[in-house]
Amino acid sequence: MNATINYAELVYALRPEIALTLGLLLALGYDMAFGRRMSDCARRGVAVLIGIVTLASAVFQTLHTNVPPVGHAAYWFHGAFVYDTLAHGVRLGVFGLSALTLLLIAGSIPHSALRTPHFKHPAEYVAIQLLATMGFSLMAVSNNLLIAFLGFELASLSLYVMAGFDKTSRASAEASLKYFLFGGMAAAFMLFGFSLIYGMTGTIVLPEIARALAVQGPSPLLLVALVMVLVGFGYKAAAAPFHQWAPDVYQGAPAPAAALIASASKLAGFAFFARLLFSGLGTVSGDAINFGGPAGWIMAVIIISAASMLLGNIAALAQTNARRLIAYSAIAHAGIMLLGVIAVRAEGAGPLFYYALTYGIATIGVFGVFAAIERTAPCQRISDLAGLWKRSPFLALVLFVCVLSLAGIPPLAGFFGKFYLFAAALYLNGLMSPAGWLAFLAIAMSAVGLYYYLVILKAALVTNATAGTSASTEKIRVPLGTVIALATSAALTIALGIWPDVVLGLFK
Amino acid sequence: MSALHLCLIFSTLLFALGLAAALSRSNAILVLLGVELMLNAANINFIAFWRFSPQFASNPHAGVIFAIFSIAVAAAEAAVGLALIIAVYRHYKNVRLQDADQLKG
Repeated sequence: MNATINYAELVYALRPEIALTLGLLLALGYDMAFGRRMSDCARRGVAVLIGIVTLASAVFQTLHTNVPPVGHAAYWFHGAFVYDTLAHGVRLGVFGLSALTLLLIAGSIPHSALRTPHFKHPAEYVAIQLLATMGFSLMAVSNNLLIAFLGFELASLSLYVMAGFDKTSRASAEASLKYFLFGGMAAAFMLFGFSLIYGMTGTIVLPEIARALAVQGPSPLLLVALVMVLVGFGYKAAAAPFHQWAPDVYQGAPAPAAALIASASKLAGFAFFARLLFSGLGTVSGDAINFGGPAGWIMAVIIISAASMLLGNIAALAQTNARRLIAYSAIAHAGIMLLGVIAVRAEGAGPLFYYALTYGIATIGVFGVFAAIERTAPCQRISDLAGLWKRSPFLALVLFVCVLSLAGIPPLAGFFGKFYLFAAALYLNGLMSPAGWLAFLAIAMSAVGLYYYLVILKAALVTNATAGTSASTEKIRVPLGTVIALATSAALTIALGIWPDVVLGLFK
Repeated sequence: MSALHLCLIFSTLLFALGLAAALSRSNAILVLLGVELMLNAANINFIAFWRFSPQFASNPHAGVIFAIFSIAVAAAEAAVGLALIIAVYRHYKNVRLQDADQLKG
């Protein structure tokens, strides 16, 4: 490592993060100077507007970065940052998903005066969300265990606060505490695993780790380190058996925060772990092509993936709470995305990225609908959705599109995400490989999943709200920000399903 | 037994102790203490590998820099954790984790 430090290169690498930092300072400063004199509604509007403009400028900075051709990567600042199509795509993806969830804030303000509004501090919320987005963006470009850990923790710490942002709600506080305690333990496991990897290889830069491990080969200590890193990974992805926080957080957190946790956080987490596992630990991956090959992390990932698919889909069948149902379906989707991590070997990161992105968009749509319903009536149980078709045809249509995409019905994006991902897994060695059997299990479990998705749609589209049920029959007025976010996510779900090459073409 | 071995045994014991505390305590603050012990065990690993391993020529100070950063992260984590514990205390009037059982299923 040479002694000269090129700070211009550091600034070039971190331009989107710098834009986000300036934006969050602006949001806080403006609110401090002028917020008290404005009405609640105007204050919220300005905070959201600053957040959107900041994310747009971060997108602008990202678009003006030179992307190396597919298969090549640029390294910045002594190999601390890597930039390739995956990093580029994930940066754009998390900024877009973050902007969509910001627009949901307007929808999650209770319409009636019965409850104190739970977004009393919109500028702080926007600032913390921008911090979380910065963490996601750092995870996307990190090529170094230290940067990765800092990005991971920046994102996690911000998400804990966002999950507990509704100070008037007992459920929100409880969910954020559970999220925090699980997350702190997972982070400690991951850090301990990183320290062992550092001890074995003497470096924290991923390609150098790969070179050192290629010489050393697998060792018992390395397996301990791998398992500890996978605990952190499983937690971030909400994969079984590290999933316990997910249903509580999805149920208790404010809807925009839950949407961010379910979408952008997953996309960044999977991109980062695909990079860590392949460019850092790729030489000790073990064998996904044949049975009985050498042991490595692929076998552990396969076990976590199968457990997540089974647990997520089967536990979702028993849910009566709509948000918990979406949480268990998220665990099942995490299992499929873990299969995508293994399939990176066959087809590159394209199918995994496409799946995580379209899954995030559809989940934001679902949480946006829940947030909009909550303006007038509680929306926790599935029966609360009854008669949605009559209360707001727009919300029912968005829910229809997004839930069917999650279930994987063509021609929506969710179907093609599953299709490309399973195809990539089967390319490895057909049904003669562990990955192939896992794809087979995933296809079977998708059929199970269709049932509980249709239960949601049946409640929203077929069932009428009668006197016996808890659902209200009041018409729902959807605020403008939520309309934009929901219309965008439904339109993207359809458009990316019809033209998947818009995303997949980036990786070819 | 070399100094590196002693350090690694110590840090592993510390990690196990922290994990046991985090899993068995019912007071949220003591669970937080357990998590901090686990993080510090990892820091000791970084410092020990940095100090006692001879072969790390390419980036001689990575270990100690990692430890400094992760101490700062642990401090931020404690701050957020205590804030969330206070938020829970406001609703439940105590910090026993058994009582925070409203969300389940």
